[in-house]
Amino acid sequence: MSRPVIAFAGMTHLGLVSGVAASEKGFRVVCFDPDARRIAALRRKELPVSEPQLEHLLAKNSERLVFTSSAEDLKSCDVIYVAPDVPTDDAGASDLAPINSMLERVFLAAGPNAVVVVLSQVPPGYTRRKQHPDRALHYQVETLIFGRAVERALVPERYIVGCADPAAPLPATYRAFLEAHGCPILPMRYESAELCKISINMFLVSSVTTSNVLAELCEKTGADWSEIAPALKLDRRIGPHAYLAPGLGIAGGNLERDLATVCRFADELGTDAAVVRAWLANSRHRRDWALRTLHDEVLSKADDPVIAVLGLAYKQDTHSTKNSPSLALLKHLQRFSLRLHDPVVPAAEAGHPRAYAARSALEACEGADALVIMTPWKEFASLSPADIARRMRGNVVLDPHGVLDAKACREAGLRYRTLGAPA
Amino acid sequence: MIVHARAAPAGPQRVVVLGAHGFIGAALIARLKQAGIPILPLASKELDLAASDAPGKLARLLEPSDSVVMLAALTPDKGRDAGTLLRNVAMMQAVCAAFEETGCAHLVYFSSDAVYGPGPSLVSEETPAAPQDFYGAMHLSRELMASGVKAPLLVLRPTLVYGAGDPHNAYGPNRFRRAAREQGKIQLFGEGEETRDHIHVHDVAEIACLCLQHGSRGTLNVATGRSLSFRGVAELVAAQSHKQPVEIAAGARTNPVTHRHYDVTALLKAFPGYRFISLEEGVARCHGAP
Repeated sequence: MSRPVIAFAGMTHLGLVSGVAASEKGFRVVCFDPDARRIAALRRKELPVSEPQLEHLLAKNSERLVFTSSAEDLKSCDVIYVAPDVPTDDAGASDLAPINSMLERVFLAAGPNAVVVVLSQVPPGYTRRKQHPDRALHYQVETLIFGRAVERALVPERYIVGCADPAAPLPATYRAFLEAHGCPILPMRYESAELCKISINMFLVSSVTTSNVLAELCEKTGADWSEIAPALKLDRRIGPHAYLAPGLGIAGGNLERDLATVCRFADELGTDAAVVRAWLANSRHRRDWALRTLHDEVLSKADDPVIAVLGLAYKQDTHSTKNSPSLALLKHLQRFSLRLHDPVVPAAEAGHPRAYAARSALEACEGADALVIMTPWKEFASLSPADIARRMRGNVVLDPHGVLDAKACREAGLRYRTLGAPA
Repeated sequence: MIVHARAAPAGPQRVVVLGAHGFIGAALIARLKQAGIPILPLASKELDLAASDAPGKLARLLEPSDSVVMLAALTPDKGRDAGTLLRNVAMMQAVCAAFEETGCAHLVYFSSDAVYGPGPSLVSEETPAAPQDFYGAMHLSRELMASGVKAPLLVLRPTLVYGAGDPHNAYGPNRFRRAAREQGKIQLFGEGEETRDHIHVHDVAEIACLCLQHGSRGTLNVATGRSLSFRGVAELVAAQSHKQPVEIAAGARTNPVTHRHYDVTALLKAFPGYRFISLEEGVARCHGAP
């Protein structure tokens, strides 16, 4: 059997990254999106998202990649992934209209033997409702992580595949594509796969929230979470890869979507989701750590203080600001003078009336009474605390993610505050 | 969380204060006068809200452009029974009926943190109300009644308020201050382990004034975000007392130890950079007061 031709329909974050990664694995890939302007931009290699390796792999594999806005081009494809990003509202509820419409387009355009795979995040029950009697339809769990999306697509931990009948063998073309990645393939019924995706995120949120609850206790008791976390990672029941870094709540949109989905299903079906609502409440509480700490250290003491804020994206290595703790903070600092810098996100995105767009992190520190590092970009870690101290007017540094070296900051005369450690 | 109708403080045209002679009412009137805001102070002597003709009398006093602050209530020292609850509810009914007739611009209802149950120690505006006594149930009932009026509603839920001029002698800074001065001894329940948030009456008045100027609506806890044990409060009061030394005596404990902390993020978001009066400064301000 010759190598199957793979298609990805929907050239937003998930579809684009998955398509480029598939081309890197040696497959011919058709990247389809009905938006002709989006396709034209991609042909010019203008990327709508920022991900490590993406630009490089797009250039490297351009001969195997076809960008098209014509659904006709899907006809010759063996496996067609339906992968538009599913937008969410402020409450985390999914808008399924874009994926519904994309799926209909694909069903109409695909060849008779094509395997259609839903890759977007959908609620339990979705795929079975979309089954066509004359179509092979599967659901595949995506585990895209912003900032690590390409790496995760190239070297997946496993494939979780939702099937109408998990006992039936997977279509040969689809299996060939999956097996090229050399990882376990776990077929299961549609609903299990859809809920499996949510389950993965639930466990992740529970680890993050537990870390946040205990980190806050550390801040008040004199304990230091950075000393505790390594001990937990050596516990087999927790493990070395557990998410134990304290953070500013849950952000990015995907995890919130799953939490909202679980609450909605629990309400409809009469199961208990009180713990999930407690996670959400804790997330909101921790998101405002920087505001509360900034108030204690500076806002309630200085007249018209200048605040330097490094990082606007919701996490490092991404352009995304969806539910960004940084933007949430800036919203409540409207009357203060700010100096902003992010390696990717323009300062204008903050929409702040008194914000200065600094060209570098150090320039942002110039004359500031307080420095707040809201996104743990790698380049911020290389900042010298002594350089920061020289440029600042005040000495307060809020570094929730522990990007800087705490000891070096204190030695430089900075008043250093971080998550999970006492002041 | 509250939302401001006016981003910059302005006005209001006139503030009608119901319960003007009370501890908070007097402080609020002083603050409003200082801000140059016209006021109509009404106490029970001028208008008995529990009387059957109260709705009509109040309606005749109100203007459609008024902001109304409802502070009038029979406090627990006047009774903790169902009868007191019903009289308090009747007073609120009169206010709602007057609003129905006049339709004022803004209603500020002074509730209480008694609407929260004893369960959670960390309380925010998202904490579900679960009153445990008639007093808490009264405030929650009056909040619900107020939500029915056709005007933007602000509910303020103050925690333990202290300051000079407090007529009550509740366990806390005021009683400790008087006890230190008069007896040279502060008597604690147990070891005074319970932590509570104490807010100075001037802060309560300031926050209410800001809310009136911004035309704020929603629900806001009025607390400082800093809790201290009663022993800590006693030590602070003793250290500032003119009479020295002051003995701090542990006593018998009849109730289990409970704690109460406030997450005041919503207040910090509403009024960024707000500076609370510290307990040290607040107690110092009370020196010389009865």
